[in-house]
Amino acid sequence: MKMPLTFMLNNQQTTIEVDARQRLLEVLRNQGGMTSVHRSCEEGECGACTVLLNEEPVNACLVLAASVQRATVMTSEGLVKNGKPHPLMKAFTDELGIQCGFCTPGMLMNAYALINRAGDNLLTDQIIRKTLEGNLCRCTGYVNIIKSVHTAQKAKLAGEWW
Amino acid sequence: MPDNSAGNNAMKNTVMKNFIGSRAMPDLVYHSPKEMSDLLALVDTHGTSARVVAGCTDFIPSIRTGRWCFDRELNLIDISKMPALNQIEKTDDELKIGAGVSLTRILESPEVKIHCPVLAQAVEQMASLQVRNTATMGGNICMASPAADTVPPLLVSDAWVIIRDDEGEHKVLLTDFFTGPGRSVLTQGQVLTHICIPMKKSNEAAWFQKIGTRTAVIISVVSAAVRVAISSGVCDTARIALGSVAPTPVRVAAAEQFLEGKLLDDQVIAECARMAAHAISPISDLRSSKEYRKDVAQTLVKRSILACREALK
Repeated sequence: MKMPLTFMLNNQQTTIEVDARQRLLEVLRNQGGMTSVHRSCEEGECGACTVLLNEEPVNACLVLAASVQRATVMTSEGLVKNGKPHPLMKAFTDELGIQCGFCTPGMLMNAYALINRAGDNLLTDQIIRKTLEGNLCRCTGYVNIIKSVHTAQKAKLAGEWW
Repeated sequence: MPDNSAGNNAMKNTVMKNFIGSRAMPDLVYHSPKEMSDLLALVDTHGTSARVVAGCTDFIPSIRTGRWCFDRELNLIDISKMPALNQIEKTDDELKIGAGVSLTRILESPEVKIHCPVLAQAVEQMASLQVRNTATMGGNICMASPAADTVPPLLVSDAWVIIRDDEGEHKVLLTDFFTGPGRSVLTQGQVLTHICIPMKKSNEAAWFQKIGTRTAVIISVVSAAVRVAISSGVCDTARIALGSVAPTPVRVAAAEQFLEGKLLDDQVIAECARMAAHAISPISDLRSSKEYRKDVAQTLVKRSILACREALK
């Protein structure tokens, strides 16, 4: 069944026609042009397709597009402002939290939500590990990813954040 | 599925027509009712072509991997947007959790933390944050997996579910709900709407433990939950439930009865754990062998009772 779908995609109201069989993953990549939402395991194991749905991280491969009617969706494209990379992205490059980059958009979205939720509470390694457990990095660069999240939170507490 | 070749061809054609992405999906019509009356009307109208879903985290992999096959249009009825099924309510002696409440909300609920901490303990070890943000406990129960991690804690808490159909509400004890792997007493036209849990009393403690092939984002090889109530030093109520050791999550009555009326010393606990392992006959599968499952079940039951005893000190 085809149906019109209206939702906020990276702060822009978007209306597209979708098939009820499509998942958010396909709609974001094929119709929305958000190719940072990586298609990988497609069963919720790897986290490469993580996006924020109403500010909470979800696997876009396990969400039916039809169910995001009037919801807010954010992908890592939405982190960039006026062509400038987000402080979180800068932290990932500075701390070498990126190797091949395939898992990075998912890691970024999950880490972004985590840092925003944490407020002024300093994140511990344990909390970061537990939160990112659903994001696999096959380059196994986890140590640097955790460092990146710490650095990003420092940037947020220093006021460089949006 | 018809076994004649004409039928198979028809099936193939349907599957080809419905090819989306890498695997087949049936034609879907999406419904998102807001009120209970709309939900019941939809379930009634669409009959066998209706499927009630909430988080869809099990539903989507099930149809994409071909575990579930539909050769015609499917009416998906999404209950996750229904306000009435999205609440955690507390009455005098029970918690009532809507079938559309996400696992994350259960985990973060102060009510659950105080009145049924063993459930929060299990939910915390389930899947990943991304899945917990969408998946629901109602879905975990209705999928009736022997490995459903929310079920052993609910079984030991003497939980029941509320099932709605056009005749009204039915209360079904969770112990009577499962009939086999992927099967339950739910029939066509019925919807599981709430899960009710009696609140933990001050002389009670409960514990959940699971073992998987790794610690994060993994299906249990064996899971165990235990609840004991102690009055004047002896155990007066015992509940022991195990997951992934039988066609459904199970309670082990023999071991429970053994524990009741006894002082919880190390010897009694060890014997009770041995009895629990003796009472089950798990299978060998991809995840583990039956021998290992029996061993682990014994250890998990023992550790869980010890943890309860510690908590009650």
